Amino acid sequence: MSTQDIETQTPSPDGEGAAVGAEDIAPKGAMKGAIEKTGDYVDERSGLVTGHKWFLFRNVPGETSWFQTLGFTAMALFGLQAITGIVLAMYYKPDPNTAFQSIQFITNDATWGSLVRGMHRWGASAMIVVVFLHMARVFFWGAYKYPRELTWVTGVILMFMTMFMGLTGYLLVWDQKAYWATVVAVNITASAPVLGPFVADILRAGPEFGPNTLSRFYAIHMLVIPGGIATFIALHLLLITKLGIAEPPWAKRRFRAAREEEAERERMRARTPAGREPVPASPSFEPPQSWPSKDVS
Amino acid sequence: MNKGEQEAYKRDYALAKAQGKPFFPYAVYKDLVVATFAIGFVIFLAIWAPIPVGEPVNPATTDFVPRPEWYFFFLFELLKIFKNENALTPVIMATFIVPNVLMVLLLITPFIDRGPERRIWRRPIALTSGVMVIFFLGYLTHLGAESPGAETGIELENLTPEAEAGLELYLANGCTACHAIKDVGAPGPGPNLTNEGEKGRTIQWQIDHLIDPRSTTPGSTMPAYPNFTDQEYQELAVFLNGLGTEFR
Ligand code: HEC
Ligand code: HEM
Repeated sequence: MSTQDIETQTPSPDGEGAAVGAEDIAPKGAMKGAIEKTGDYVDERSGLVTGHKWFLFRNVPGETSWFQTLGFTAMALFGLQAITGIVLAMYYKPDPNTAFQSIQFITNDATWGSLVRGMHRWGASAMIVVVFLHMARVFFWGAYKYPRELTWVTGVILMFMTMFMGLTGYLLVWDQKAYWATVVAVNITASAPVLGPFVADILRAGPEFGPNTLSRFYAIHMLVIPGGIATFIALHLLLITKLGIAEPPWAKRRFRAAREEEAERERMRARTPAGREPVPASPSFEPPQSWPSKDVS
Repeated sequence: MNKGEQEAYKRDYALAKAQGKPFFPYAVYKDLVVATFAIGFVIFLAIWAPIPVGEPVNPATTDFVPRPEWYFFFLFELLKIFKNENALTPVIMATFIVPNVLMVLLLITPFIDRGPERRIWRRPIALTSGVMVIFFLGYLTHLGAESPGAETGIELENLTPEAEAGLELYLANGCTACHAIKDVGAPGPGPNLTNEGEKGRTIQWQIDHLIDPRSTTPGSTMPAYPNFTDQEYQELAVFLNGLGTEFR
């Protein structure tokens, strides 16, 4: 929107933006007016537009780094997984007798099937890598420290759920490698003390691997964990927008501020009467030249 | 961080924000550049290295070495370190203790490391532990990637027809998921069975062990196999008891 549009529309006394001005008679102006009115209508009732502006135009520290794009990238990859996953689900049949054939069909016959399947599989690996790098950046920056501890906790849960997606998705292909790897993984789970056997039974849908195991893994992979991930991404983002994104620990502004703080402390020290803290008790203490000074502010 | 340090951080952060830039477009454009690149890379990989169709599940074939996705390699490699060889390397370390301790440590990191310092070169403990974890994860993943892939059956000599049937049963029932014979099968959590015959078990002991492992080996984590026929138990037991002595 050009400044001219704003000028011609805002002065309108009754809020009907499109009513005055020569250009506004043109259909484009009317259209704009209608959009604006719809926007106002929605905003008055939901606060969505204002909220959006707040979200987009709020300040972040000036020196944000490229490392801080990894969280968003993880989110984008999750979105990609959701989309390719939905497409795959349209062709996939979670039954031991048909699962393998449906994968074969997707890979060899369905239009773009091989691409979508490839994107889903590589996307899973990419998401793991990106989430890990994101976690490493948060760790090495100390960005999990006060006040962002809970952001970290929700993040760790997100990472475990992402890995669990990989585990449950792997079985769905129903080929030898995946089947036996999952058998081992579940058997290992079963060997854990106390809860192990229960968790394994839940995963297998019974004491042995069978037809129900596949549909159970399908439901977990399709509904349970994605729902969990979406919920925790929402929590993660809520905390991030509330707390603001951390400033890089090496930000020039921080160093400047640290220097100023140091200088300020130096001045304070110089002003404090001899013998009182925090002046070091030194017999050779001599008042600096600036003391007593006039700039007592 | 004590209260004063927390307040100082908040004040300083408010300053950083006040002197900062709007999220849109300064941060958003970077996000979009990297995310677009990542998605582009995924599409590139999907075209350049398409995912093949594997072999259909068939519990009776002989060439399955369980292989998880690469991001679980490190857990499988842990099984090779802790494989019940002696009291210092119980399997439970790999299957339960180490992963869970790491998981809990990761979760509570912010509550362990609460100092105000954020610059990594002034946090020697965080720096060393972070680098070490990354190094070991990388190393174990590398080991997992190097370990042999699919094998073509188990080569054993002098198999009698009964033992041959036992081998088939052994392969068909996922025993390789936990045991190895001559490098075929998983290195853990079960012991390597290449020389099982040398332990001097009786046929009946083997059968009892299969029906209920805990009856012969208290505390064993091996699952019970109560559903074979008498003949099948016999075949499996003969096969197991000859390993390393008759069949090698
Ligand atoms: C979930 C993993 C797992 C599976 C599957 C499994 N085992 Fe085991 N097995 C173990 C473990 C663990 C031990 C060691 C138990 C101990 O010593 O505490 C073991 C021990 C054994 C032993 C050694 C007994 C002895 O002490 O001499 C034999 C023989 C054996 N298993 C045979 C089999 C056969 C045959 C199958 C397939 C029908 C099988 N196992 C399937 C985990 C497994
Ligand atoms: C599915 C996985 C994840 C998604 C989608 C995600 C998303 C995000 C996003 C968008 C941000 C904003 C800043 C940035 O992009 O760097 C962020 C920040 C953060 N994330 Fe994640 N994250 C995920 C996993 C994790 C994990 C595994 C951890 C840690 C164990 C974590 C801890 C944090 C913390 C502490 C912040 C705040 C850092 C700061 O303000 O500088 N996140 N996350």
